[in-house]
Amino acid sequence: MKAFDSYNPIVLFVYFLTVTVISMFAFNPVMIAIALVSGFLSTLTLAREGCGRFFIYAAFIFIVTSAANPVFSHNGVTVLFVMNDNPVTLEAVLYGVAMGTLICAILMLMRIFTKIMTGDKMLYIMGSASPKLALLISMTFRFIPLFHRQAVKTERTQRALGRYTEENAIDTIRMKLKIFSMMTTWGLENGIVTADSMSARGYGTGRRTSFSVYRFRRTDAVLLAVLAVFAGTIAYLIATDAVKFSYYPKMSGIAHTPAAIVCYVLYGLMCMLPVMNELEEKIKWRYLESRILGSPIR
Amino acid sequence: MEILRVEDLRFAYQISPDKQALDGVSFALERGDLLCVCGATGGGKSTLLKMLKRELTPLGKKSGRVLIGGKSPEEMSEHESAATVGYVMQRPEQQIVTDKVWHELAFGLENLAVPQKEIRRRVSEIAGYFGIESWFEMSTDELSGGQKQLLNLAAVMVMQPEILVLDEPTAQLDPIAASNFIATVVKLNRELALTVVIVEHRLEDIIPVSDKLLVLEDGKVVSFGDTRDCVGRLIGNERLLRSMPAAVRIYAATHDISKNTFPVKDTDEVKQGAPRTDTDMGKNSRLPLDVCEGRSYIENNFGNAIRSESVTDAEAPEGEYALEFKEVYLRYTKDGSDVLRGMDLRVRKGEIFCILGGNGAGKSTAVSAAAGLIRPYSGQIKVFGKKIKDYRGQELYRNCVAMLPQDVQTVFTEDSIDGRHPYDLSGGEQQLAALKIVLETEPRLLILDEPTKGIDVYAAEQMGKKLRELADSGVTVVIVTHDVEFAARLADRCALLFNGEITSCDRAKAFFSGNYFYTTAANRMTRGFYDGVVTSEDAVRLCRLNADKQTVR
Repeated sequence: MKAFDSYNPIVLFVYFLTVTVISMFAFNPVMIAIALVSGFLSTLTLAREGCGRFFIYAAFIFIVTSAANPVFSHNGVTVLFVMNDNPVTLEAVLYGVAMGTLICAILMLMRIFTKIMTGDKMLYIMGSASPKLALLISMTFRFIPLFHRQAVKTERTQRALGRYTEENAIDTIRMKLKIFSMMTTWGLENGIVTADSMSARGYGTGRRTSFSVYRFRRTDAVLLAVLAVFAGTIAYLIATDAVKFSYYPKMSGIAHTPAAIVCYVLYGLMCMLPVMNELEEKIKWRYLESRILGSPIR
Repeated sequence: MEILRVEDLRFAYQISPDKQALDGVSFALERGDLLCVCGATGGGKSTLLKMLKRELTPLGKKSGRVLIGGKSPEEMSEHESAATVGYVMQRPEQQIVTDKVWHELAFGLENLAVPQKEIRRRVSEIAGYFGIESWFEMSTDELSGGQKQLLNLAAVMVMQPEILVLDEPTAQLDPIAASNFIATVVKLNRELALTVVIVEHRLEDIIPVSDKLLVLEDGKVVSFGDTRDCVGRLIGNERLLRSMPAAVRIYAATHDISKNTFPVKDTDEVKQGAPRTDTDMGKNSRLPLDVCEGRSYIENNFGNAIRSESVTDAEAPEGEYALEFKEVYLRYTKDGSDVLRGMDLRVRKGEIFCILGGNGAGKSTAVSAAAGLIRPYSGQIKVFGKKIKDYRGQELYRNCVAMLPQDVQTVFTEDSIDGRHPYDLSGGEQQLAALKIVLETEPRLLILDEPTKGIDVYAAEQMGKKLRELADSGVTVVIVTHDVEFAARLADRCALLFNGEITSCDRAKAFFSGNYFYTTAANRMTRGFYDGVVTSEDAVRLCRLNADKQTVR
């Protein structure tokens, strides 16, 4: 089991949401670089499967975005060369590179998100918003495969009864419609059994609780608190222009006040959290393993 | 302590107010009793069970009283009523509400607004008790039929009911899963002193373990009491006896000669050398219920001077083959494993051929292949001497092959059969109605997949009769089944399908006499004592022959 994905889904969701939002607002080159590096490392540690093809795809997006900006945007004072009577400026090129990098970093983040947030976890999040919705979704996911299987069975039976010809398109359509109508009847009739089974177990007797296998542990609370402090500080620093960086008309210098450095460090820690978590777990296991191997029993 | 009391219960459904579905039913159960309710379909068994659960009580006119722990269901609060009586129905699939096993277990507790922490405790406890841990996180859709029904039971038990009501819970299960389910119910009953009320079609397994028996006929109680006494009172009632275990049927057909002609040789008596007379025997104390008791009854009451009947087997039918499998290999996916591995099979025209085998042996696959629904990747299948591949268009399904599938609900295209919706018919009626539809194409080869699943003994008999008529009129019948007793009664020849190939194939009598586990109760009862006994009628005839011989001597 991986360490990071065993956190409560809500905490994980909040983590991905905060990191994505902050990354999108911080257009500072240092922070973009941090986002790229941590995205790269996280991909390698958490979502290694098939990452080669993904990196090629990301590189393609990067090239397209960085190349597109200077073609369409002619802001900036440092003209590199003139193309079709349009000046291509250094500022526009760098803006494009920054944009491309940021998009790549966010793509990586999204990919890790989909790897970690499985269907179950997303359902749990939606369910915690509304228990009714949770049950509805759960029942739907139960019914779809059931319905599908019955439809396949019905089609096969009808085929073996010789009522299903493949030579004649009209016959085929007629039969498909017939099967659909049979399936509707089947769904309604068998739904009665399900309804009985539900009321027999007290459904509809009043307020329900919503149970889930995911627990909210102490470590989840700790992570959530850390996230809140980090994100709050970073957001405050961004809002107060401590890490302000402008590309146009001329690039400003990279902020390196103590406040800016605090912001970089906190952001870096936040982005690297999954990787650090993973490393910590690996080291812990290695240590435990060596203890087990070195035990007197062996 | 008395847990359940039913007093003069009468009920008529709203749709047929003139017919009393229950007509003055009275009985009482102590805590920890296991009650088996039996009787023919339409006798009021299911109606009675529904009266015990307020949420499921149908519309109609009701009189009399039901008291559960001294309270009538109407007096209970909604939560109390939902939790007090646990109810499991016939169809495992449709009772499951949610997509995950853990969620299904929690569902009932969620409805009662039990706090998260308590749910967690109870769910983990019940999963441990039922051995569900290994599939706890799985989707309910991935489970086998047996697992689904166990899950339904667990999902009800998690609410800690006082009474467990089971309406034909094993009807849709294969024999292994069915006996596993019954074993779990018995375990709950014995370990938790749980009161159980169960309705079953197949009584072979449940009668020996039940404490009490309630026999219903046309809504009236025919007999109620301790199982052995109650079964004893049924002797003479041919119709009800037919659904009883083989041991009971053999006893019923032979007790007159065993009791009157010979003193019973109990082991004690043999030692003392003093034959015991009939009067000081407890009247029904030696009524055998299971295979073990049945065997001891036969061995102690009848000699085996005549070990087998001198019946000449009818000659093996000669002639052409209706269905041939030659080295058939079949798999569903390219990388999957073979489901059929070199299956060889030859079915002659006009015979009834049964293919038996466990779950996953490839039975359903074999019949689907025979019906041309799936194609083998190697080997060939011939129908009436012509390769299936060579049948063009609908040729194979016109006046040639027809198949009755396991799920007969997939057959009904019309919403009305003789004025009734097919879903309103009983299991047995549905089977016969579906068979009628399947026969419309006047097939010469009829293939049936588990035709006796979920139907009672009487419907199975009717089905058997119908199939025999068809075979006599020249139709070849191939049946795939788990139902050993049905196959033993009906089949001309039987084959065992194991691991994708036919491992044995013989005339029915020889087939079942040769098997050790996969055989009828009557055969297991007489193995090594008599030869060639397959049905309880065979056993009865041999007992009588031996009895006659001893009298003459």
